[in-house]
Amino acid sequence: MEHSKINVRQLFVLIVLFEHGSAMVIPLGVSAKQDMWIAILLGLALGLLLFLVYERLFHYYPDQPLTSYVTHIVGKPLGKLLAVLYITYFFYIAARVLRDFGELLLTFAYPETPLFVLNVLMAMTVMYSAYKGIEVLARTGELLYTLLQILAVVGFILVIASGVVDLTQLQPVLEEGWKRVWKTVFTETLYVPFGEMIVFTMLFPYLNRPEKARRAAVAGMVLTGINLAIIMAVNTAVLGADAVSRSSFPLLDTIRRIQVAHFLERLDVFFMVALVIGGFFKVSIFFYAGVVGVAHVFGFSNHQRLVYPFGALVLLWSVAMASNYWEHIHEGLKIVTLYLHIPLQIIIPVLLLVIAAIRRRFGSSAK
Amino acid sequence: MKRPIAMFVSFFVCAVLLAGCWSKKELTDLAVVIAVGLDKTKDGRYLASFQVVNPGNVAGALQRGGGAGGVPVSIYTSTGDTLVEASRKASKKLSRILYYAHTNLVVISEEVARQGLNGVFDAMERSHQFRTTARLVIAHGHSAKEVLSVLTPIDKISANQIIKTLEFSEMSWGQTINTDVWWAIRGLTSSGRNTVVTGVVIEGNPQQGKRQTNVQSSVPDARISLDGLALFKKDRLVRWVNGSTERGVLWVLDRIKQTNITIPWKGKKEAIAYRTMGVKTGLKVKLKNGQPSILVHIQTEGDISETYVPINLADYRLLFQLEKAIGRDIEREVKQAIETAQHEKTDVFGFGEAVHRADPLLWKRIKKEWDDRYFPHLRVTVKVDASIRRTGLRNTPYIK
Repeated sequence: MEHSKINVRQLFVLIVLFEHGSAMVIPLGVSAKQDMWIAILLGLALGLLLFLVYERLFHYYPDQPLTSYVTHIVGKPLGKLLAVLYITYFFYIAARVLRDFGELLLTFAYPETPLFVLNVLMAMTVMYSAYKGIEVLARTGELLYTLLQILAVVGFILVIASGVVDLTQLQPVLEEGWKRVWKTVFTETLYVPFGEMIVFTMLFPYLNRPEKARRAAVAGMVLTGINLAIIMAVNTAVLGADAVSRSSFPLLDTIRRIQVAHFLERLDVFFMVALVIGGFFKVSIFFYAGVVGVAHVFGFSNHQRLVYPFGALVLLWSVAMASNYWEHIHEGLKIVTLYLHIPLQIIIPVLLLVIAAIRRRFGSSAK
Repeated sequence: MKRPIAMFVSFFVCAVLLAGCWSKKELTDLAVVIAVGLDKTKDGRYLASFQVVNPGNVAGALQRGGGAGGVPVSIYTSTGDTLVEASRKASKKLSRILYYAHTNLVVISEEVARQGLNGVFDAMERSHQFRTTARLVIAHGHSAKEVLSVLTPIDKISANQIIKTLEFSEMSWGQTINTDVWWAIRGLTSSGRNTVVTGVVIEGNPQQGKRQTNVQSSVPDARISLDGLALFKKDRLVRWVNGSTERGVLWVLDRIKQTNITIPWKGKKEAIAYRTMGVKTGLKVKLKNGQPSILVHIQTEGDISETYVPINLADYRLLFQLEKAIGRDIEREVKQAIETAQHEKTDVFGFGEAVHRADPLLWKRIKKEWDDRYFPHLRVTVKVDASIRRTGLRNTPYIK
């Protein structure tokens, strides 16, 4: 295991960048129509509860990542199996996000470039940062976080200034009651991005002051949740719920509508920068968690040797996983949610917590 | 030995990747399409016209003392069953690649608009090059190709001329609406709102208009002018409206910024002119026994800009009377517009959207029949609060 440490602020920054990641650019929660921002906020609320489960587990085993304390909780054979399952999950999601990223760039900026080439470029950067370790990634995060915040503020001001925001498009609120909103929460917004916080159970042990983990993570999640709700509300107010749901990338459409004073227009590059930064951190963190997990479970003293083989795996996986964009999205929203997100983000962690709590109660834990 | 190899490899990788030559297109290989025109051919296919900028003659004409160079734009046409087909086919006539990222204007002929706009915009919103912020106008009386062919004197590229006219005319006169492709799509997808688009006409002879001599005269043989507002029902153009009715539509849409209203005074018909400076229109929905009715509330502020009768404008009580008269005048325009739209059974005002916001459940029930059954009999009350703030540099006119 790596002996590097990150501080609380760095954890906060990583969480914010990670959570914004691809959630910012994809149509998030659009099945709730104009109430998608409510669905995101509810997703945040439930996501916070879920996070408390992860945090409790970390509290029980403050110096271990998820993949090693599962063996303490459920015993060695089953624990190893679960650990491998989680590692596969992390690599798979890393590959998914990498694919998202490539598809997005391909659709709106590089129509003639092969997907593989774009993914190679991103994968190389991700592998390099994973090779350098969590400290380097965290410091890069601090740097790019500022850039992203500036872009967000400037973009927001420009959207308002170009006078395209029509708040009446957010009405009627709760047109079909709460049912549609809750359905969106439980099928989409809870898992992506909030449930994905599970990956941070692999990173908490690197924190120099573990007792501050909860505060930083909750602050990061709340900030992201509010930001995402604002982004989607602005998208809806600018484009209308119908256009948002027909759009591949609502945020891009919103940015393309900016026209201020005849020269501040065509700011697609804002979208591009946000996409690349967010995508990079999301892939990197999933990938890093996977690599560290492998090093743990299979007893490698140094994770660096694993970076390149697993990087190549993720890269190939990202290209091979679907034959077109909408197959990829369909898998992501329907199949992955049902068979991966729900068991691995909710069921297993809750069970683990229950077992851990019982063991602790009856004093038979920690061998 | 390892280090130099690593250096070489990374240098090589950087050199190849960072140069960004993957799908390069040289500027001299691009034909910048500034405007697209759409007509129908006799056999029902699209006839697309592309106004391509001729870069050498846009900047160069000034330096050469004007008029010496060639024309600033060139029109290419091609036919096809779909827009993309027509666009691709145009490459047979063009020595460059059509490039749509700077397309700022879409001109659609009246014929296409009457047959329906469905299908026209899909390629435009789907393409990553094309921008839906491109302005939209309907060619009235002439074909879209003829409109795009007319050369214009002040703004050399005629597409820019039309766009700027749209913008400034909406700002200062308020009888035309500056709409873009995106707005049209919004109207097509909403069940509670139909689209309105401004028309363009050619004044003069379009045959002369496409020659360079057109811009060498102080009174060009052909001029492009905005005229009329096309009311759509779903995707079809159903009616042109002009003049004060046109402005009536824009009052309700809250698109008026400045305009001029002349009201009668003491028996004289066009006596006092009022210039609005700020307008705000609000829609309110009232529900009574499940029947919606609409209140259109218009608030304007402005100045007196011209008088033709002796009147003491320093008397503020008189100003209050004038305000009432102005209010009545605006109300008349708006009612006229609403009656016209109701007659054509097309809700161009977004009243349906307002009802949707006020009562989603009711809307769900009536939205299918909104345009044909509910909107034509909708009770609309118009309330205008006009206020005169100032009277310019004079109080009483010199007319005695």
